[in-house]
Amino acid sequence: MTPATQTESDLDAQLQQLLSRCAAADDAALERLYELVSPTLFGCLTRMLRRRSVAEEALQDVFVTVWQRAGQLRPERGRAMAWLVSIARYRAIDLLRRERLAPALLAEPPEAPAAAEETPEEAWPAGATLLERCLELLTQQQRHCLELAFVAGNSHEDIAGLIGSPLGTVKSWIRRALRTLRTCLES
Amino acid sequence: MNTPPNNPELIDRLAAEYVLGTLRGAARRRFARWRASSTSVDQRCLFWEERLTALLKDLKPVQPPARVWRGIRRRIASTAPGMRRSLVRNLALAASVLLVGVLAILWYRRELVPERATQVATITAPAGALWQVEIFSRAGEPPRLAIRAGAQAARPAGHDYELWALPQGGKPVSLGVLPYVQGSLRRALTSRELEALGRSTQLAVSLEPPGGSPTGQPTGAIVFVVPLQRST
Repeated sequence: MTPATQTESDLDAQLQQLLSRCAAADDAALERLYELVSPTLFGCLTRMLRRRSVAEEALQDVFVTVWQRAGQLRPERGRAMAWLVSIARYRAIDLLRRERLAPALLAEPPEAPAAAEETPEEAWPAGATLLERCLELLTQQQRHCLELAFVAGNSHEDIAGLIGSPLGTVKSWIRRALRTLRTCLES
Repeated sequence: MNTPPNNPELIDRLAAEYVLGTLRGAARRRFARWRASSTSVDQRCLFWEERLTALLKDLKPVQPPARVWRGIRRRIASTAPGMRRSLVRNLALAASVLLVGVLAILWYRRELVPERATQVATITAPAGALWQVEIFSRAGEPPRLAIRAGAQAARPAGHDYELWALPQGGKPVSLGVLPYVQGSLRRALTSRELEALGRSTQLAVSLEPPGGSPTGQPTGAIVFVVPLQRST
């Protein structure tokens, strides 16, 4: 069964259970977990790190970390998928800093929302719909900045260079975007 | 210096930028230290991680090449008891005289300096001991958990037994699913488990769905509560 054929909570319960087996040093559970989530995490890492070889190395680091820290994830600390994605993204950000890798070059603003294509993303919907609603409140620029940072791993400076706006402006767009999101997400 | 500022507004702003990835360099490292030491900072990070992760929903999954998984297996072989055993077996098959010698020396030294458990618990049924649980923490080494299952420790049909630390003034903390029928388990303890064990004078065993509690807290019947003794 692939993530796409499951509901979000099923997948998350499954990930959660695999992680608790990993915490008990069950390596078959790690293998199953890898089958389920490595394509998502690798997609995220290749996007942020650009170079495949670096992304492969990072994916290894991520699963070694997951193996070591599996016992730290508890349902009350949030969803397993968010936890796994965060480990991957923070590893990528670390590598971007250490290796001074060129950040993703994605200067063009995203095309008009590709609403037509239904993506098989049952791994995301609960948070996704809420976030989607809140993102509507942002300007196109604000939203674009957030995506350049979160999805593609760009720093404030990178983004300023990419979209040709002053650094201070980019910083304040992002700050205001996050404030708007927080108010919306918490309401 | 290492304590987060007492300003919820600022903490939230930094947490958001930390999760977004725009907090960089020394500020990022400092914030990561705050997060590790403060529940309220951690809470704000979790809030943002949970919400912003949905930004990735349009990202295309990419299948990693098979060598990545092989590399992961190699790298965790030194920490996973199961994998370590198979590694030792493979090397032994190669009949490395050197390895045999090294193992002999290690075994000899182990005999000379026996490991001493710092906390122990025995889970007993009328028929005899079911599980022996030992916590080892020697200076300079990561603390470890060892569990040996007795011959009577059978797996309950359609369920698993899960072991819990019962920290005083806190919720039970899972120590994982128990091994069965003369099986054993030996692994490093996480800092959360170690901290919970430090505040526990009792362990509990609950009946759970296969693989353990899906919620992180006991969901089935508590079948044993036993004292956790500190050995000096």
